[in-house]
Order: sequence, then C-alpha cells, then structure tokens
Amino acid sequence: MNALTGNSLKISRVNIVSKKFQRHSHSGNSVTLKSPNTSVNFQPIRAAITGAADSGETHSTVLPTESARDQLRSDMAASPDVKDGRIAGISAAIRVIPDFPKPGILFQDITTLLLDPKAFKDTIDLFVERYKDKNISVVAGIEARGFIFGPPIALAIGAKFVPMRKPNKLPGEVISEEYSLEYGTDKMEMHVGAVQAGERALVIDDLIATGGTLCAAISLLERVGVHVVECACVIELEYLKDGGGAAIRGEESAAEGGRRVGTG
Amino acid sequence: MFAAETELKEDPRLQAIFEAIRVIPNFPKPGIMFQDITTLLLNHKVFKDTVDMFVDRYRDMDISVVAGVEARGFMFGPSIALAIGAKFVPLRKPKKLPGEVISEAYELEYGTDCLEMHVGAVQPGERAVVIDDLVATGGTLSAAIKLLERVGAEVAECACVIGLPQFKVKLDSVYVHGQCTINGKPLYLLVEPRLLDC
Repeated sequence: MNALTGNSLKISRVNIVSKKFQRHSHSGNSVTLKSPNTSVNFQPIRAAITGAADSGETHSTVLPTESARDQLRSDMAASPDVKDGRIAGISAAIRVIPDFPKPGILFQDITTLLLDPKAFKDTIDLFVERYKDKNISVVAGIEARGFIFGPPIALAIGAKFVPMRKPNKLPGEVISEEYSLEYGTDKMEMHVGAVQAGERALVIDDLIATGGTLCAAISLLERVGVHVVECACVIELEYLKDGGGAAIRGEESAAEGGRRVGTG
Repeated sequence: MFAAETELKEDPRLQAIFEAIRVIPNFPKPGIMFQDITTLLLNHKVFKDTVDMFVDRYRDMDISVVAGVEARGFMFGPSIALAIGAKFVPLRKPKKLPGEVISEAYELEYGTDCLEMHVGAVQPGERAVVIDDLVATGGTLSAAIKLLERVGAEVAECACVIGLPQFKVKLDSVYVHGQCTINGKPLYLLVEPRLLDC
C-alpha cells in the first residue's frame, strides 16, 4: 500500500528549488523521510528557495517512475488553476527572508500576504472554490500558521475547524503522533472527540517542505477513522533534480494554482 | 463592554457561544479553570456567529489592522480581517517572526515573556483592533497595545471572546454600565468565563 494512499496532495509551484531527495514509504500511512547526506544543488528560479518551515525534518524520497512523472507533468499543464490570475498576486505578496531560522535557509514569509487584503482574500477564495462542494466537514489546521488560513476556509465551506498543536497546548484529552525532525523528533496532538469516524477532512498549513508535519496530521485523523480528502498548502517547496522533481508518489497536493508536484 | 450590556443583550447568539466553550479544570496547573474555545470551533454555526459579532461591530469603525495574539488570536482574527477588509498582523512569541521585529516584554506570574511584531506591518495613523480568545490579567493585551502604539497606530479597541469581569470599570465600587477597559483602551468581550458544571 502506498503511503498516503487515498489522499491527494496537489502541490502548486510557487518557488522552485533543485534538490535531490530519496523517499521511502512505510507501512500504514506514515511516511518517514530521511535526510540526504549529499550536498544539494540549487537551480534558482525566480526567488528560488530552499526554505523549510519544517527545517528540522529529515527527508528522503524515492523518485517515481518516468511514466508517473510524465503523467504528473501533463496533469499540471492541464490544470485550470495554473492560469488563474490571482496566483501571481499571491506569489508576489510572499516575502523571502534569507538565513532564517538558520544559515542557508530561504524562509517563505506569508505575513506579507496577510497584509494585502485582496491577496489574502484571493488565497482563501481559491481554496474555498476547490473544496466547497467536496462534502468536507473538517478543516484541520497545523499550528501556528495553519490557524491563519484554516478557520476562514472552514467558515466559508461550513466545516468545523480543528487545531493540530504542539505538545501540551491542548487542554483536554489528546491523541499524539510523533514525527521525525532532522535531529530528534517532535509531536503533534489533536483533541479526542474533535472529529468522528467517517468525516471527510482537509489538512491546511502555510507551507509544505518535507511533508513530515502533514503526514503526522494525516495519521492523527486516520487513526480516528477520518478520511483525509486532501492536504492544502499555500506554498510548496518543489524539489527538482536536474529538471526532475520529487513527487509524493500517488498523491497530489492542493495549493495555489493547483499544480501538482512534478518530477522531470 | 460585555456584549450583553449593549443592544445585543437579548442576542440569542451569546448564550450559544457561552455554552460552546468547554471548561477544563486544573489546566495548565491546579486551580485554573481553563476556558477551552476549541469546542466552539467545532460548532460551525456558533463559530460563525462569534466572528459575525466582531465583524458587525468593527466593519464601520474604519479599522485597517486586525492584530491577533498568538496562537488562539490567529483562529479568530483573520476571518474578522477578511470580512472588514483589514490587514491581519500576527503578534507572536519571540523568534517566530522571520523578519525584523519590535518586541515588548510583559510580566507573567513568574518571570516575563515577550510579544513581537514585524517592522513595517503597520503604518502610523492606522486604526487597529487587537484580538485574542481570552483576557485574564491583561498582560498580553497590554503588550500588544504598546507594540501598535510604538509604531504610531491607534488602538481603537481590544476584543476577546471571553473576559474576566474585573475589566469592568468601577466608579465608587459600582460597576459602570457597559464599560470595560484595558490600559484606558475600550475592551469588548462577548462572554464571561464558564464555571465547571457540577
């Protein structure tokens, strides 16, 4: 069984980096990503970044087959979201901060997007348009920037909002999921009883880097019988290897533009 | 002021908002009755009503900045900002904001903490509302007010879903009807804290 089977993660390319990743899928629904030992090659495109909001996460990816990559590439080109004029405004509103939180990282700062009411509204509208007819009853937002985008989406599509938090923040009974960082591990928690078996959920964060936190969130929801319809992020760090990219095999990640993670 | 003290006194939404909050005793430490708003967020209608009450209040007050205090202020602030056409400014714990920041320290029961805001997020003369889920001692809200005032913004009001009654203004030991303030700024609260249902 593929990791994250049944979840679609359609990732849109806002900033592109070139990086080599190896990825393994584990049994069940968790994906552990191990850190590459090789030095990374970057092909900057526009404001090319490596920024990782989850910079502590380890990651490795197995590149998908040629045919999978071709399929992804043509799917991307065909996506109507790609041509949406709002995307350019959203992309332009995101600020890049070099060397944060540590040297070599180009941090994708969405706070400047939040200062632009039109761009912020467009961001939410794009997600709402995508999800409003998908019978989603749960929007799970990952602490803390997922708390900024998740609630407006939840309110607009008639869903509940569920915060996925760092340890010891939620006051009631919780379930926890551990996930790997570059050094060590971290934990994500969700309140017991927040969601019911059979509900359909969306997971939201501002940015996907390695996917570790999103995977932990998916695990938490699936453990209580929820169907994770899709993960959605404003920004995706697309990893290209000599023109190829690391696809999250079998999945699409939805973000602005709705473009899939392409390889090749 | 508490919403119940305004023309919203009979507003049925307030009772549902009050009842949607869950009380967790002895969190984060013994003796504290924690007001858990996550149960409110699970109830779409009540969550929407909560946001609507703030939006109704602020949409005609010429507010261009909604500043939300990390992290639960993030759950309410952005929706309000979007509805009234204002920008959303996150006020965060130290070292979370990636760009250049200004910081304001405030006191905790033991020690101090710090609230930060990005330089350039807010311009002088802008009118701001500060949002958090709950006000207890007022330390964080005071720090938030200071941050905004330091860059020349005017804090029109602070708003929280829940607030302790101590913020009501007393004049000669009598509560002045409809007035809550924090550091001289008006404070708008929807409900008082819940006690544990026995």
